[in-house]
Amino acid sequence: MSLKNRREFIRDLGLSSAVAPLLLGLPGLANAAVAEKRRQRLIIMFSPNGVVPGAFWPEEVGETFEFKEIMAPLQPYKNKTLVLNGVSDLVRGDGDSHMRGMSCLLTGTELFPGNIQGGSHTPAGWASGISIDQELKNFFQSRPETQTRFGSLEFGVSVPDRADPWTRMVYAGANKPVAPIDDPYQMFEKLYGRMQDQKMLSSILDRVREDLRKVREVVGREDKQLLEEHETFVRQMEQELKADKRRAAAGASPALEAGVKNTNDNMPRTSKMQIDLLVNSMANDMARLATLQYTNSVGQARMGWLDIADGHHSLSHKPDSETESQEKLIKINKWFCEQLLYLVEKLDKTPEPNGTGSLLDNTTVVWTNELGKGNSHTLHDIPFVLVGNGLDFKMGRSLRYRHTEHNRLLLAFAHGMGHHLETFGNPNFCRDGVLNDLT
Amino acid sequence: MHHPTCLKIGPPRGRRRSTFLFVYAVAVFGFSAHMFSETALAAGAEMGEKIYQKHCVSCHGAEGWGVADVNDKPLHGDKPFEELVQVIEETMPEEHPELCVGKDAKKVARYLYDNFYTAAARSKQQASRIQLSRLTVRQYRNAIADLLASFGGSAALKEKRGLRGQYFDSRGFQPKQRRIDRVDPEVRFDFGEAAPAAEQFDASRFSIRWEGSVLAEETGEYEFIVRTEHAARLWVNDEKKMLIDAWVKSGDDNEYRGSVFLLGGRAYPLRLEFTKAKQGVDDSKKGQKPKPVRASIALAWKPPRKSDEVIPQRNLLPQRTPRVFALAAPFPADDGSSGYERGTSVSKRWDEAATYGAIEVANYVVDHLQELAGCRGETTADEPRLREFCRRFAARAFGRPLEEPQQRFFVQQSFAMAADLPSAVKTTVLLVLKSPRFLYPGLASAGEENANGGVDSYAAASRLSFGLWDSLPDDTLLDAAEHDALKTPKQIARQAERMLKDPRAKSKIRYFLQHWLQLDEKEKIAKDASLFPNFDDALASDLRTSLDLFLDDVVWSDASDYRNLFLADYLYMNERLAAFYGVDLPAGAGFRKVSFQDGQRAGIVTHPYLLATFAYHNLSSPIHRGVFITRRLLGRTLSPPPQATEFKEGDFEPHMTTREKIALLTQPVACNTCHSVINPLGFSLEHYDAVGRYREKEQSKVINAVSPYTTAGGGIVELQGAEGLARFIANSEQAHGASVDQLFHQAVKQPINAFGPDVRQNLIHGFKASDYNIRRLLVEIMKASVPFASVPH
Repeated sequence: MSLKNRREFIRDLGLSSAVAPLLLGLPGLANAAVAEKRRQRLIIMFSPNGVVPGAFWPEEVGETFEFKEIMAPLQPYKNKTLVLNGVSDLVRGDGDSHMRGMSCLLTGTELFPGNIQGGSHTPAGWASGISIDQELKNFFQSRPETQTRFGSLEFGVSVPDRADPWTRMVYAGANKPVAPIDDPYQMFEKLYGRMQDQKMLSSILDRVREDLRKVREVVGREDKQLLEEHETFVRQMEQELKADKRRAAAGASPALEAGVKNTNDNMPRTSKMQIDLLVNSMANDMARLATLQYTNSVGQARMGWLDIADGHHSLSHKPDSETESQEKLIKINKWFCEQLLYLVEKLDKTPEPNGTGSLLDNTTVVWTNELGKGNSHTLHDIPFVLVGNGLDFKMGRSLRYRHTEHNRLLLAFAHGMGHHLETFGNPNFCRDGVLNDLT
Repeated sequence: MHHPTCLKIGPPRGRRRSTFLFVYAVAVFGFSAHMFSETALAAGAEMGEKIYQKHCVSCHGAEGWGVADVNDKPLHGDKPFEELVQVIEETMPEEHPELCVGKDAKKVARYLYDNFYTAAARSKQQASRIQLSRLTVRQYRNAIADLLASFGGSAALKEKRGLRGQYFDSRGFQPKQRRIDRVDPEVRFDFGEAAPAAEQFDASRFSIRWEGSVLAEETGEYEFIVRTEHAARLWVNDEKKMLIDAWVKSGDDNEYRGSVFLLGGRAYPLRLEFTKAKQGVDDSKKGQKPKPVRASIALAWKPPRKSDEVIPQRNLLPQRTPRVFALAAPFPADDGSSGYERGTSVSKRWDEAATYGAIEVANYVVDHLQELAGCRGETTADEPRLREFCRRFAARAFGRPLEEPQQRFFVQQSFAMAADLPSAVKTTVLLVLKSPRFLYPGLASAGEENANGGVDSYAAASRLSFGLWDSLPDDTLLDAAEHDALKTPKQIARQAERMLKDPRAKSKIRYFLQHWLQLDEKEKIAKDASLFPNFDDALASDLRTSLDLFLDDVVWSDASDYRNLFLADYLYMNERLAAFYGVDLPAGAGFRKVSFQDGQRAGIVTHPYLLATFAYHNLSSPIHRGVFITRRLLGRTLSPPPQATEFKEGDFEPHMTTREKIALLTQPVACNTCHSVINPLGFSLEHYDAVGRYREKEQSKVINAVSPYTTAGGGIVELQGAEGLARFIANSEQAHGASVDQLFHQAVKQPINAFGPDVRQNLIHGFKASDYNIRRLLVEIMKASVPFASVPH
């Protein structure tokens, strides 16, 4: 833990009861004081290596459309879904398509020249700008009414332990990639560790006092006073923890399956755990922005549980004519869609705290990808599938654009969240303003 | 600025147009008017005590502590004197208030008031007893580090300095491609467009790994800095987490920084990797040869209170040392009001800080169970091993074996109650670190099971280790304690001598010196840039290093002669300092000793760091220098000035020298008592300007550095400039006593007079007999302080 983190950790542990609910991200007294506005949320889910367009994009445009095989699991939420075809990542410059696909996806700006060589093109470094989720996080954190403990949370599932433009899509700024946390237990610790610590602490404090009393018996009179004084502080802490505990009861942490190793084969389990944590953290208002990154660009998930032995990226290079590979890719993408469904269902079933309806009524989930199609490495027709009503877009539609800059969609996310930016990322891709026809 | 509470004299900050100066007055040590009135009052006080014994003691007990089962409320309070008299007149003794009225009530009230009723009176009384003390912040951090190191491993530091450098002719670190394996004194290389060695390398794609340890001298936040146009990554004190990750070269960035909190006097594992090759997909086999580009790399740091510098060879070791647990959690500062930091008070903030510390350690322990306890606690088969770990952890923290009831309390109960094994360990760790047995090392000799209160060898071991290291006893000490071999002065001396060789002792002495010389008070020295254009942060930082090296040199030389702190005729200088101070220094890197034969330099009183610290941004300050010498080096007391006086340059004739101005300013009689002491000491250093540079003249007038100084005994000594001053301090018995006090207090953290009336005098005599050997003095201090019960009865 770096010094700064550690300091923050310690500071955040502050036991002063007035701030505890706020710090713990609980729907506590402190929040109730501020006239509560609607809590808008945005979750961006990423899966890699492009899709199989024929099995992905609905053929119809407008309110009447049918899901193809990959998106079929979303059927129950069709009227809350918005499919955007024809949005393209037009950012060029250094780096191969996978790198740019990944690191320009949410930043909308070029990569710096650097030392990372891709399969083609020139070598590159990190993105030269902030990603939209972090931009919105900063915006939300700068205003008291939208401030949360974390602002944003970066979840991962089976992300390799490697930092390069293929594994990072979230940027706190130019040259500042943010690593997702792909270990559910580590995420649990981040979200609830302090509560666990406090619980344990309150369980031992009476023994600490007992110990102090015993020792006090054997010291001289003058020194007794010091130990008595010490004991009063221990007692105070005990009382403060009790007060916190009463307030904390509302924000129960989710029960996680124990002992799940963070491996490729456990992806279905870690995926579920991460989604459980994500929805719980949102219900507890720890953050209003989140990303959920499955593997990485060029990711090689081996989905044995779907009876697929090949790595995902290798499969994505196979030509369209290889039906068997295309079938496998469809299954893989459908599996990702099922993860999306689980997330959406969970949001739908969780009531909005301090409000009406469900979390999904105030949350938009965006499912996206760094490429349009794996074997062509195209950055055209990047998948953007939106579910939920966080951004107040008109849902239940399938729209078609043509080579339209994805910066304009990122801009639309910002506007939907109340942040009225003029441009985002490279301004040359924002000339036509916010993406049309969304609301 | 004129407020009389501006008592703490410190050199002026920054660049103000006019500067302030506090003129001191009244009460040099042992001033007599006060004594006189005391004698006159003595008879009355005696009467008061007699009345107290007659009418009060049966209920209020000796010294107002109360009497068991009668009245357990101590007779302490904060009523003003008159009110106290009134209460006594009207209510005391209970049921017969008429027995004590009028003068008698006043007398007994005076007795109470001056002896124990007020907090001030009690603290005066306490000054002469050994008080129960909690760990100071420094002790807490060191104890935690050593407690964990006793499980995770520690290593003796070897002499060899530098980092191991392995050079590879490959983009990764393929062992077969290793071409060079050597020790580099520091990491500062510019390879140009070439490879590290002519023929064995592909200049476009080589990689280097430097490994070893970095030795931190001070406690605080260290910023590490890697400068390179290529890719690099750095680990410091944590092999799993990079401090700097610049493995992706991106854009024009070529400087990377990362901060880490380190404890002084310890070495931390470090690894730096560099590669000039592209990462990602290896396309070296295809395509044309890349264009030649430059490559350079430097590993620098910014230690606390210094400016950034390439990490010097003396702070690098090629050996890899184990990780140190350096607790960064902020603590409230310790009480330093007695002139040294001690833990005789507790506060809510302190209790919280110690709690967070305990939680942080407990989480660390649970996350590193394999490394610390040899198993992960995942199966029930691990239980015996973890119980044993907990038992040893508690025993280490308390500095003595656990007795049966303590084992039940600290270990068995945790395992009986916890949901799983790691939680049991966590509970024990929290409980142990929150226990007074750990937090108050003086309790080591107490404990309900050991209520005789006597001092045993374990208590002696604790005294030694906290005295010399500010930390827990090591294996050797605990072993000696187990064999009851810490009883005789000889045994104590042998241990102390062994312990002085440990880096922790070096760190503690440095800490003592820094406090003594007020080096821990200032962050930065700033000087007037138009007058001293090259006096920048880097130069000030070098000065500090120069002083540190000098102090180390004196203390750790064979003679360890205190007098050399004042009499040495040399300074440590590097090229930058030599250029600034006008000294010829043969070219070459690093600090070297430079001797001055012409009497220009005499130990610390002429060290430019101190001279510059105790000076204005544009002028020397005889008063700041004089006060520092009076209080710190000569151990005389000064009262705060009766009035704050502003020193405005504009108030004086422009042709006057600094000495003339100060003499004029402090001319009033009220100033004289103190300034007859302060000024001559400061004037002796008038050959040194605001940056400590030697000068013959000021304002075209020849410097007069001769002046008559009034000693504590009332005699007059004619001080002949800096050298005369240095000689005077080196031979001053009062200065020797002051040093003995300072060293004793920093080591033992208890008042010296609490150890018996003769201890101070004996130590001073011994100091003299040992030719003022500083390390020997520490050994004697240990001998004098260890045999006493740390828990008074």
